[in-house]
Amino acid sequence: MTRGARVLLLGPYVLLLAVFFTVPLLLMLAISLSRQSFGQLEWTLTPQHYIHFFTDAYYLGVLADTLWLGAITTVVSLLLGYPLAYHLALTRSRWKPLLIVFILSPLLVGIVIRCYGWMILLADRGLINATLVQHGWLTTPLPLMYNKFGVTVALVHVFLPFMVLSLTGVLKRIEPQLIEASQTLGASPRRAFFEVTLPLSLPGILAGSLLVFSLAISSFVVPILVGGFKVHVLPMVVYEQMLSVFDWPFGAANAFVLLLISVALIAVYIKVTERALRGIV
Amino acid sequence: MEQGDALTEAPRASGTVTLTNLAKRYGATRALDGVSLAVAPGEFFTLLGPSGCGKTTTLRSVAGFVTPDAGDVAINGTVVTRVPPHLRHVGMVFQHYALFPHRTVAQNVGFGLRMQRVDKAEIARRVAEAVALVQLPGYGGRYPGQLSGGEQQRVALARALVTRPAVLLLDEPLGALDKKLRDHIKIELKRLQREVGITTIYVTHDQEEALTMSDRIAVMHRGRVEQVAAPRGLYETPATAFVASFIGNINLLAGRAAGSNTVDCGSATLAATGAAPAGAAVAVALRPERVRLDPTGAVDTVLAMTVAHVVYQGETVRYILKSDAGLELQALELGEVRFTAGARVRAGWAAADAQIIQEGIA
Ligand SMILES: Nc1ncnc2c1ncn2[C@@H]1O[C@H](COP(=O)(O)OP(=O)(O)O)[C@@H](O)[C@H]1O
Ligand SMILES: [Mg+2]
Repeated sequence: MTRGARVLLLGPYVLLLAVFFTVPLLLMLAISLSRQSFGQLEWTLTPQHYIHFFTDAYYLGVLADTLWLGAITTVVSLLLGYPLAYHLALTRSRWKPLLIVFILSPLLVGIVIRCYGWMILLADRGLINATLVQHGWLTTPLPLMYNKFGVTVALVHVFLPFMVLSLTGVLKRIEPQLIEASQTLGASPRRAFFEVTLPLSLPGILAGSLLVFSLAISSFVVPILVGGFKVHVLPMVVYEQMLSVFDWPFGAANAFVLLLISVALIAVYIKVTERALRGIV
Repeated sequence: MEQGDALTEAPRASGTVTLTNLAKRYGATRALDGVSLAVAPGEFFTLLGPSGCGKTTTLRSVAGFVTPDAGDVAINGTVVTRVPPHLRHVGMVFQHYALFPHRTVAQNVGFGLRMQRVDKAEIARRVAEAVALVQLPGYGGRYPGQLSGGEQQRVALARALVTRPAVLLLDEPLGALDKKLRDHIKIELKRLQREVGITTIYVTHDQEEALTMSDRIAVMHRGRVEQVAAPRGLYETPATAFVASFIGNINLLAGRAAGSNTVDCGSATLAATGAAPAGAAVAVALRPERVRLDPTGAVDTVLAMTVAHVVYQGETVRYILKSDAGLELQALELGEVRFTAGARVRAGWAAADAQIIQEGIA
């Protein structure tokens, strides 16, 4: 294919991106810098909404909670996902396709249904608490829902597949001979894992973590349904400002803070991977 | 039985490897079918055979990556059959080198020493020494991705040698290199092996590699060892039909043993060396370059034949000969073309140049 034809074929996507992504984004940036009085937007360039956000303890608290939820979801997904991915990468079992379906299953169920599933399990009168109380093992139900714990569980559940797939791709590409080489040089299987497998899977760890973190800090439905408005995260604030309070400039500023955090993360990710991957890719 | 203890001690520069009746099956495939070998200290020992004959499986049994179904592996006289690889203290060079891509050359080479908890200054000293040994000084800070195939190969060798293992194992280490580099590294490898004096087991399917480098060669076929001999012995006195035809080019003339040093092939009686019970099915193995056409000196067998084809090969000329009774024979000569197709010639050979082979005759 000639270069001209190739560029031409990119056209539709570039157009789509421009019309439905870049333009709205720029519009939102403009709104976040504008002023609103009596429901009318005045096109200004004021940083007041950002200042408002970063000087109000409530919003800073929400930001901290959002980042904390993202971090804990990422770490738990990594710890649960690594063994899963490791097995998936190495197994020659004929049940492997079934295992993959199991791993992907959270993505096959609609988000609302999935959350109600967790509510049935985690609620005060849910399956877990009801069983424990009924057997007299507990007098008061455990606080499993409407808190960060419940939200984290539900977030890990849905984002785990992203972590597992990122890791599996990388782990599968590690030459088994590298591990054997380290063993002939005196590394026990455990040592070989920490000296060879783990460092070589770093790209997958970073990619998976970034993906899960970005998805977790921007999730909206899960915190609302499982957190029951007791757990406040940034996407909820954006929603409230836009659609309940109708303070579009402030809502837009919140959304931009979220976006900037994601972008900053990607930048850090690229820097870190460049260093960590020297020699690997 | 005592296992492995001796290997965690300070290693000796060279060791023995003894395989006793190794057997390994993969499903219906007998990868190893009773392999017994004894490799002497400092020896360059080669496993040679066609693809799938069990060379890699044998080598991996020595390294500890394959646990045989039966039989034993002993290194330096200690049985290690069930000792895991990391306690065996063998050096191994893999076909694609298996250098750690996330570590520099120096870190790769020093890896084994670090596993042995050698102190840092000592590691640095020995790494420098090993890197110099393979003639890559100044490469310590590079990553494997920045090296050519031949350089990677040498780093892999340095990495395997620096811990002074009891035995060095190489699985088709030249397979991934182009022909010119291969010839160069072949000589280099042999020099290094002599210099270090390390017992070496080398796997290849390339007979030329095996013949030029080895002290002794074991020819393998279908999971069994067909013959163990020095290169010259293998070429000149093959023990089985398989060895005879695998190494170089050879005439195999089928017949029945008739008295000592004679074989009756129906249309003629052939002189050859070797004993077989009278009447046994045998073959006479005769190198084409040992066949003399219109011989002037003394020969023990002379056959009247017709030149069927002449194959001009530059340095050499190959003649395909046929007798009136249908016997086919190849002859190889240096120099100019002496006969043309259709010419009548007398083909002769000395009994000492022809071998009676009993094993593996169909
Ligand atoms: N891990 C394995 N699983 C199944 N079959 C194997 C395995 N390893 C080797 N084999 C079989 O055993 C035989 C010998 O293999 P190998 O030792 O690799 O031969 P070589 O190195 O001489 O080419 C082959 O038929 C091969 O297919
Ligand atoms: Mg092989």
